[in-house]
Amino acid sequence: MLEMNEPAERETLVVVDDDHAIRLSCQKILERAGFRVETFEDGARGLEGVAALRPAMAIVDLKMPGISGIEVISRARQISPRTILVVITGYATIDTAVEAMKAGAYDFLPKPFSPEALRMIVRRGLDHRNLLLKAEAHEVERELLKRRFVTFVSHQMQTPLVAVHQYLDVLKEMGESEAAAAKRREWIERCLQRTEEMQSLIRDWLTLAKIEGDFLAHRKVKVDLNAVIENILTGYEQMAAADGISFEVHLPKEGCFVHADRNCLNVLFDNLIANAIKYNKPGGKVTVTAEPVNGEVSVAVADTGIGIPEEQQPMLFQEFFRIERKDAKHVSGTGLGLTICKRIVTELGGAISVESQADAGSTFRVRLPAWREEVVQAGRINGGKDDPDGGR
Amino acid sequence: MAAKMILMVDDDRDFVEAVSSYLESNGYRVVRAHDAAEGLKLAKMERPDLIIMDIMMKERTEGFFAVQELRRAPELEKIPVFVVTSLYTALGDFKIQPDGNWLAHDEFFTKPVRLPLFLEKIKKHIGDGLASQSANAGTRPL
Repeated sequence: MLEMNEPAERETLVVVDDDHAIRLSCQKILERAGFRVETFEDGARGLEGVAALRPAMAIVDLKMPGISGIEVISRARQISPRTILVVITGYATIDTAVEAMKAGAYDFLPKPFSPEALRMIVRRGLDHRNLLLKAEAHEVERELLKRRFVTFVSHQMQTPLVAVHQYLDVLKEMGESEAAAAKRREWIERCLQRTEEMQSLIRDWLTLAKIEGDFLAHRKVKVDLNAVIENILTGYEQMAAADGISFEVHLPKEGCFVHADRNCLNVLFDNLIANAIKYNKPGGKVTVTAEPVNGEVSVAVADTGIGIPEEQQPMLFQEFFRIERKDAKHVSGTGLGLTICKRIVTELGGAISVESQADAGSTFRVRLPAWREEVVQAGRINGGKDDPDGGR
Repeated sequence: MAAKMILMVDDDRDFVEAVSSYLESNGYRVVRAHDAAEGLKLAKMERPDLIIMDIMMKERTEGFFAVQELRRAPELEKIPVFVVTSLYTALGDFKIQPDGNWLAHDEFFTKPVRLPLFLEKIKKHIGDGLASQSANAGTRPL
């Protein structure tokens, strides 16, 4: 990629003018400014030069014998679309300038011109070109990422479906054989599991799609985090008890109010608490702590589980990333949970981070904007109403 | 006579279970591997008669490289390789010609595989399974 202040490679400029003196002076001025300059004395030779050199810029005199400057501009544009075209004109009228611009020129330089004017117009044109090239590279990269991502998601969705299909197919082909009879129950069980996996994947995928954009902006209300967290923990009591995992909860007595969307908070903390249980060790502990900090609310969800190896931590919030550890293999999940958490927190104007040590446990820390009465009154976001289904 | 041996390399355990059960019921012995490294190791150790290789395992193109590896090993290069993948669209954006030199595989199948056709192609390359194909389908020969 070209950087504006990086003189790595000398850029090539082409000057097309029938006037020998102008060719010479342009060459001198621009070479001194650090460019490689090639000059041509008429339109036909100039176009050949543009085709061969693909210069960063071509400076073309409008009035030449033979092919006209306008024609040179419009053909050069086709031959080398990334070349910036500038016209030199002795009769700088609005009409000729407009005509040149229509043919594809980026700028024009009225005769006579000072070395300073030439340098300035070249600099401006090249800056413009760099921007164009950058935007182009960006677009290509984005398109590529998007395409790869679509492929990847399709693969993730297709995999469970393929497994189920193949089981059914084998059951059909093997018919009533003994081997099939012996496996039938196990295979049906696996099919059910894989369809469930598929459903959660689609559910998570939809959640993720919904969080995007400014869908949330209009739905932020006053929500008491205490109620959200206690509610979720109650829901997980049985699951945690089955593994001998205990909860420890530290919530501020006076309540803990944030400016957020209640459903999103539910999804966010449900994911974090479920992970803290799923990736814990038998007999472990899950500690949830919420406290106000400088106009924000900080919530930490800590577990005493298998932890996240340091080198895997940077990838943690990426789509479909899953911890690679032998003792995490049995844990089911779509690989989208933390991506969803990250998006929710970002949309709510907060931040999420993780501290973890392999084998010792992980702590996920979420910061969210605290509820402030005066903001609502000033902005009349929703008439200062509380969350209709909030409270305790 | 020993049964013909097939090595199946695929990270989806259910897909492997389903297809290998079917192949076993047709008299083949199936050795299972769940990533390319394990597959290559088993290929060298067991010298199977045929290899079934998934393309997109943990890495997007893990199977491609595994096939290249197989073709580079003189003792393995003659083993027929079937490539299977669910990464396929009707648009031809991911077209693999079965006779394409660049992948150097012998057959190409999309997932889920059509079992009778799959079996037929296997027979074409390495013959019948030779293990008990009738009543005791699925049990492994000694």
